[in-house]
Amino acid sequence: MKSSSTSSPAPPSTERRRSLARLAGLGCLLAAAPLAAQSGGMTPVAGTPPAPPLSLPDIDGKTVDLAAYRGRLVLVNFWATWCPPCRREFPSLGRVQKLLKPSELAVLAVNVGEEAETIFSFTGASDVTILLDRDSAVMRRWPVKGLPTTFIVDRQGRLALRAVGGREFDDATIVAQLRGLLRL
Amino acid sequence: MLMVVPVAAQSQSAWHGVQDGVEARATALTRPAVLAFYQARGFSAQAIAPYADACIFSLELHNTTKKILRLVLADWRAQTTAGTIRFRQPQSWEAGWARQGVAEPARIAFRWAQFQADLEFAPGDWIMGMAALERRPDGPFRLTIPYTTDRRRHEIILDQLACAALD
Repeated sequence: MKSSSTSSPAPPSTERRRSLARLAGLGCLLAAAPLAAQSGGMTPVAGTPPAPPLSLPDIDGKTVDLAAYRGRLVLVNFWATWCPPCRREFPSLGRVQKLLKPSELAVLAVNVGEEAETIFSFTGASDVTILLDRDSAVMRRWPVKGLPTTFIVDRQGRLALRAVGGREFDDATIVAQLRGLLRL
Repeated sequence: MLMVVPVAAQSQSAWHGVQDGVEARATALTRPAVLAFYQARGFSAQAIAPYADACIFSLELHNTTKKILRLVLADWRAQTTAGTIRFRQPQSWEAGWARQGVAEPARIAFRWAQFQADLEFAPGDWIMGMAALERRPDGPFRLTIPYTTDRRRHEIILDQLACAALD
């Protein structure tokens, strides 16, 4: 876990105040009940183009390259902690990962523009691989129009499915779509 | 067919409409809430003040139809007794942040927290984001949200919207 970039560590009381401020700031977005129940499937990507490159550090600083996952399905989720639907769907990323074998599906949650400390305060010890796209350079190379956006990269490295807005990724419809791709 | 949603059925700060399987919600955001959100993302109070002083809404769209729908924020219209007001385009704020030296993480958060200017929704997609009117209307207004499916133009209308009070 990377430490804060400040020259001296903030005392716990200060950090707690910051956390509360962050949560207070989210309130203005969370106040609105979501329109959608975050269920439903994902949309096939027309033409199944090759997935753009994705090579980023994880939360421990180790570089993770999408190309290394060839032969598996990869769920690539672009998200941020301040994005309410991203927060709502995040637990389902871990659940869907457990529904399939590691040799079948990998989940990469690409956080956009935030520090590891901020991310960790939300995710805790998540089983999902979290990647840091600090300057959003990688996300700009992907066909992302808003957060959250999620892609399923097929075993040949192509963009097979896309979802804009929150989903529950362990929803039966999506799991059936994933199993369908594994049969191809 | 258009559906005009009566304000009496809704809260004072959120408006919701449905048109042939397309749902829209607009929630008026208060100045303190907007300031808190962006200061927590790294903006100074001074830098974000012009945005927080505007008439800000959290906007949500959900496509429950079987068709792809397209919408362009520049086409949305707030109709007041004094005329039409558009939403300010998200990218027009970003040049200002760069000039003021707002840190990149804050600018990234701002960019992606906005309702995006040009969107294509597949069935099941939904998205939310903030948007600011170009100026504060003097009173209640009607928001017209145009979108297209199969090159056919449709509209959702939310009536009697109002900006949140500044304080």
